[in-house]
Amino acid sequence: MLRTTGVVKSYRSPAGARLGVLSGIDVQVDRGEVAAIVGASGSGKSTLLNVLGLLERPDAGDVWYDGERVTALGASAQSRARGRFVGFVFQSFLLLSGLTAVENVLLAARYRGGITRRTRDRARQLLAEVGMLERAAHYPTELSGGEQQRVAFCRAVLNDPPLVLADEPTGNLDDANASIILDRLVARARAGTAVVLVTHRHDVADLASVVFRLEGGRLERRDRLAR
Amino acid sequence: MAGLVALGAMAGRIVRFIEGGDRFVLGQISVAGRGLGMGTGFTAGGLLPASTIERIARVPGTAGVQAQVMLPLDPSTSQFMTLTQELVLGVDLSVPTPNRYYRALAVRTGRFLRPGDRGVAVVGASFAVSHGLFVGSRLTLEKTAYEIVGVLERTLTAPDRFVILSIEDARQQWVAKDPMLRTLLASGAAPMTASDLNTGAAVGWRDGEDPDAVARRIIAEVPNVNVQIPSELSRLLRSSTAFFSALVVGIGALGFVIGGLSLANTVAASVFERIRDFGVKRALGATGFDLGREVLAEALTITLSGGLGGILLALVIGGAVDRYAARTGQELFLFSARLVGGAIVFAVLLGAVAAGYATLRVTRLSPAEAIRRGT
Repeated sequence: MLRTTGVVKSYRSPAGARLGVLSGIDVQVDRGEVAAIVGASGSGKSTLLNVLGLLERPDAGDVWYDGERVTALGASAQSRARGRFVGFVFQSFLLLSGLTAVENVLLAARYRGGITRRTRDRARQLLAEVGMLERAAHYPTELSGGEQQRVAFCRAVLNDPPLVLADEPTGNLDDANASIILDRLVARARAGTAVVLVTHRHDVADLASVVFRLEGGRLERRDRLAR
Repeated sequence: MAGLVALGAMAGRIVRFIEGGDRFVLGQISVAGRGLGMGTGFTAGGLLPASTIERIARVPGTAGVQAQVMLPLDPSTSQFMTLTQELVLGVDLSVPTPNRYYRALAVRTGRFLRPGDRGVAVVGASFAVSHGLFVGSRLTLEKTAYEIVGVLERTLTAPDRFVILSIEDARQQWVAKDPMLRTLLASGAAPMTASDLNTGAAVGWRDGEDPDAVARRIIAEVPNVNVQIPSELSRLLRSSTAFFSALVVGIGALGFVIGGLSLANTVAASVFERIRDFGVKRALGATGFDLGREVLAEALTITLSGGLGGILLALVIGGAVDRYAARTGQELFLFSARLVGGAIVFAVLLGAVAAGYATLRVTRLSPAEAIRRGT
C-alpha cells in the first residue's frame, strides 16, 4: 500500500545551514500491517510521517500509494490523493474549535465527495463505536483530551482510507483512552488498513507487526524479537 | 465602511451642488446693470432699467429676456456672499423662463407661481424645512405676509434656499429693505418707474447660437451692463469650489485607504489566525481551490454584512445630522444609489482580493508547515 524510495528531507536552520533529517528512506507497509516508527526525540519521526502523508514534500525520493507515485503529483492532486488514501491522527488532535464533534468528523467527507446522509450516518456510527455519540454536539473545548482524540480517530477513518498515519496518537492520553485508540487502530489494520504509528512508547510499538527505528536520518527495520 | 459612505455622501452632496450651479449658469446669460448693486445673485450688478432690458432683447441671437430681482433674505449677511444663503428671487412671470436647463422648477407640493400672482410665494425645500413652511402657511417678509402656494422639489442646489415671488412683490421687498433706494425714489432725482427696479435679467439664446458669442454681442451693443459669459462663469464657479471638492476628495481618498485597509485586514486576519485549521483541512484532502472558495464565501459574508452594516450606520447618522442641519436650511449628505452600490461593490471586491491574497499565502505553505505555524 505504502512505499517510499530514497526519501531525503532536510531543513534550513535559522543560521542558513541545512540540517539533514531523512537520508534515503526506503520503507514499505502493506495493507493489514501496523508499522511502528520509533526513535529518539528529534530523530525525524514526525517529519517522516509528514512526508509519508504528503504533508511535506521530500527533497528527493518518492512516495507511492498503491503503486501510484504521488510525489510526482501537483499540489491539488496531492490533496485529493491525501483525501482518498490517508487518514491522519495527530498527537494534539487538531480538531477545529468552531465545529462540533460530529462536524469535525464530517470534515473528512466535505473534501471527499461532500457530506451526505450516508456520511452523516457513518459519522454517528463511528462516534457511537468510541463512546462519543452523546458528545456529538459538543465543541472541542467541551471535551477532554481523550475524547478529542476519539473524535479525531473517527475523522481519520470516516472515508475508510487504506492508510492511517498516527503521530504519537496516545501521547497526550491517559491509559484508558490510549487503550481505546490503539484498539481501534489495530482493528482497522485487521480490516485491511495499513497503519503507521509514530511513537516513543514501547508498549505501543509492541502492537505493531513491523517496527522501524529512525536514527541518524536512516530507517532500520527491526523484527520484534530483536528489540 | 460607515465613514467611507458618509464621506462619499458629503462629496456627492457638494458635487451635486456644484453641478446644479454649473448647469444653471450654463443655461442662461446673466446680465446686470453696471455698478456695485446689492451684492446678490451671480451678477453683483446695479440697476438694470426696463429700457436696457428692451435693448438686450433686440440683440441678434437672444431669445427671451426675463427681468429678475434677487435679494438676500437677510441684508445684514449679504456681504458674506455664499452659495448657500437664503435669497428672495422675483421673476417676471409674463416671460417664459429662458434658462435652458431650468425651464420650470419642479414643485413637490402645491403649485408654481402664475402670471398675475401677487402676495403669494413658492419656497425651496430646505427653506420650507428651516422656516417650518408648507402650502397654506404664511411667510412674513419686511412686514408683508405672503401665502405659501408651493414648495419646490429638493434640487440640492441654490433654489433649495429660495423664496420665489412675483417680480412686483420682489421689487416692493427691495424698496422695503434698502433705505437708500427709498430715499432716491422719494427725492424724484432719478426718473424711475417700478419696472426699472431689476437687479438683473436672465437671457436666453436662439437654437444654434453660441451663448458665449451672444453674451459678447450684448456687451458690444448694450452700454452699462455687466454680462456674464456662461462658459467663463462656469469656470469661475468650478474654480471657486475646487478647494472644497479637492478637500472632500482628499478626505474621501483617505477614508478609502483606511477603510479599505481595515476591511482587507479583517478578511486577511480571519484567514491567518486560522492557519492551523487550513493546514488540517488540507491534510483531510482540501485543495487550494476548495480553501479559496471557502475563504471567498466567508469574505463575502464579512464584507457584505460589514458593508451593509456600515452603510446602514452611515444612513442613520447622516439622516440624523441632516435632520438637525435642516433647521438652518442645510443638507450635508447625498446618499445616491450609485454611492451605496459602489460602496458595496468596493467592499466585496476588496474582500475578494484580500481573501485571494490570504488564501494564496496559506496554500503556498505545506500542510505540515501551516499546522506547525498555527499550533
